[in-house]
Parts: sequence; C-alpha cells; structure tokens
Amino acid sequence: MAEKRITIRTTRFDPDKDKAPRLQSYDIPFADESMVVLDALNHIKAHVDGSLSYRWSCRMGICGSCGMMVNGIPKLTCNAFLRDYWPRSITVEPLSNFPIVRDLVIDMEDFMHKLKSIKPWIIRKQEYPLGAGEHRQTMDQIDEFRQFSECINCMLCYAACPVYGLNNEFLGPAATALARRYNLDSRDQGIKERLPVIADAEGVWECSFVGECSVVCPKGVDPAKAIQQTKLDTTMRFVLPYGNRDE
Amino acid sequence: METVTSDVVKEPPGSAEAASAGSAPRVYKPEMPLGWWLRQRHYFLYIVREFTALPLALWLLWLLFEIQRASTGPKGYYPPESAAFVVFSVIVLGFALYHSYTFLSLAGVIINIKLLDKPIPSRVIVLSQFAAWFVASVVIAAVLIGFAR
Repeated sequence: MAEKRITIRTTRFDPDKDKAPRLQSYDIPFADESMVVLDALNHIKAHVDGSLSYRWSCRMGICGSCGMMVNGIPKLTCNAFLRDYWPRSITVEPLSNFPIVRDLVIDMEDFMHKLKSIKPWIIRKQEYPLGAGEHRQTMDQIDEFRQFSECINCMLCYAACPVYGLNNEFLGPAATALARRYNLDSRDQGIKERLPVIADAEGVWECSFVGECSVVCPKGVDPAKAIQQTKLDTTMRFVLPYGNRDE
Repeated sequence: METVTSDVVKEPPGSAEAASAGSAPRVYKPEMPLGWWLRQRHYFLYIVREFTALPLALWLLWLLFEIQRASTGPKGYYPPESAAFVVFSVIVLGFALYHSYTFLSLAGVIINIKLLDKPIPSRVIVLSQFAAWFVASVVIAAVLIGFAR
C-alpha cells in the first residue's frame, strides 16, 4: 500500500534576503492519524529543512506559543489535526495582523505592551500583611471572572480581529478580556487605574463587535463579551450618579 | 522521502522595514488586503450588518424631511408613491429587520443582570428583548393606525 502523504505549504521569509514572504511546499509522510500541524512542522525542521523557524513549546494547548494561520484560520498548530485537512494541502502562515520576523515567527512586542498597559495583576489600595491571612472568595465570586482567566495569550484573537488589522492602536480582545478578569475579581481594587486604557477611544470603543475573536479562542474565552460588557459598565459609571464610586 | 518545491506566490500587500544600526531586526509588516471581508462568511455577514445602517440612515433622513414638510398641514403635501420608492422602502425594511435581529441577538452577550444574586441566562435576556421589540412595534402600529382613522 502506498505511503500516505500530505503537502504542507509554509511561509518563508528571511529578513536578510527576502523583500516579501513567499510560500514553500513540503511533501511529507502522514504516518499517524494523531499527527497535528505542529508535528508536520517539526518533521520538516528535523528531516527536510532545518532553517524553518517557528515558535512552540508545550505541545498540549497550554502555552499559547504555536498559534499560526492554518488554511487562513488562526489556530494552535498543536491542536490542528492533519486528518481534518487530508487529502487537501495545508497552508501554514504566521498569525495575521502582526509583523513577521522570520518564516512563521511574528513580532509580539505590540501585544506585550498592550498586555502590560492594562495591569493584569491584582491591585490593592493597601496590602494586608501576610499574617492577616488569604483573601477569601466564594464560588460565585470566582465564577464572575473565571472564564476570562483562561486566556493563554496565544494572540489568535488578534489575528482574527479585522479591527486590530486595520488599526494596530486598538487595545484588542485578549488585553481587554484580561482587564475585565481583574476588574471583576472581588480582591481587586484597580479598576480606576485601568479605566484610562480600556475606556479610551482606542480601547473598547474601537471594537465594532465582529465577534470572530471569540470564535477562534482555543480556550473558550469570550473576549467579545468582555469588550461589550466593559462598554456597558464604563457607560454606566459615566451616566449614573453613583457609577463612578470609589471601589 | 520528502520533497520540497519552491512555490513563490504573488507578493502580499505590506512593507519590509529596514533595520538601522542598533535597532530591532528588520520585519515585514503585512497590510490588510482590500477584500479581507470576502475571505470568510463571518466577516462578510459582519460587513453586511454594518452596511445596513447606511440605507437605513438615508431612509430616516427622508422621513424627517417628510415630517417637516407635513408640518404645514395636508394641503399641498404629496408623499412619494412611486414604485421605485416603495421597492427602496421594502429593501430598507429588510435591512432594518436584519440589523435589529443581529442587534437584539447580541444583547444576551452584552447585558449582564443578576436576579437574586444569580445571573439571568443570556437566552432569557435575548427573548425578553425580542418580546419588548414586538410589544413596541404593536403599540406604534396601533397608534399610527388609530391616527390614520
């Protein structure tokens, strides 16, 4: 029986040689039904072309490193099975809307800057001494923000967001979802420090609710929901007399 | 055995930024192609949703103009009744219904209300929005028909 094979087309870009990215095809064995796109890339790098560059780490959908465009859709390549595409070829490109550093590697500096700007940590007006014990929460209080804390910063939502693609100043889905995660946390008191960033014109108000960010999220986070609810919350804080209360 | 073929594609829109001494490495900055909204059904429906607001706004501007004209009384007031205008109005009605449907369907995502410390399911919120829409439409229709008589 003939060996089962699959064609992988990947973006190649050498900043020292190329003016623009190009696609290169690799015809490789599809030996195992459990093979994912990341396995195919690892096979190419190990057996065909060691110069192919891409990011990956955990191989189990946790680290968020291996996000790429697979046939035009942002996906974690460790979670995109070849069997779902075969016998068609698979085109693997770097995440859309980001500058390309080399081959499938993107420049994530803009996202890291945005992530830091929303202060994704618990802010307290006054820290209790360690001896005072933990900040206790009920299950209902945890449920308020739990889904937004599942974000792994894989940036698939940014690649799916045409608003970010058209205007890189937009704060974007993941950063807003994480801002909401901390704003909803009963232990946090930092909403006023985050408001200037999230309520800015380039913050939540830039979003026109395409909704694709929530569709592509591999962890089931709903950034579109976080953004729209933040719009409503910030409006209420502005409109209601008690809305801007000190928290 | 693995095979490799160089498959040069048309240069995508974008620009390569040259590195200067001591700066970050050179990167390629892709640009959104003009037809990005045709690449996926979801993007296409989003653009349709956004576009429906435009003819709707034009029709509403016309309505304001007609109201202003009618303010001087029925004498000399002739609202447009051409077939083309009726067709345009029907199309705008379709757009209005589609826009309203998408807007109210998304209300369940946006509105986060609690009842007895429990969040109200988004399905209930969406249904209540459609019910309110229906009631408001019936009331407005009744008022308009009442005045017409």
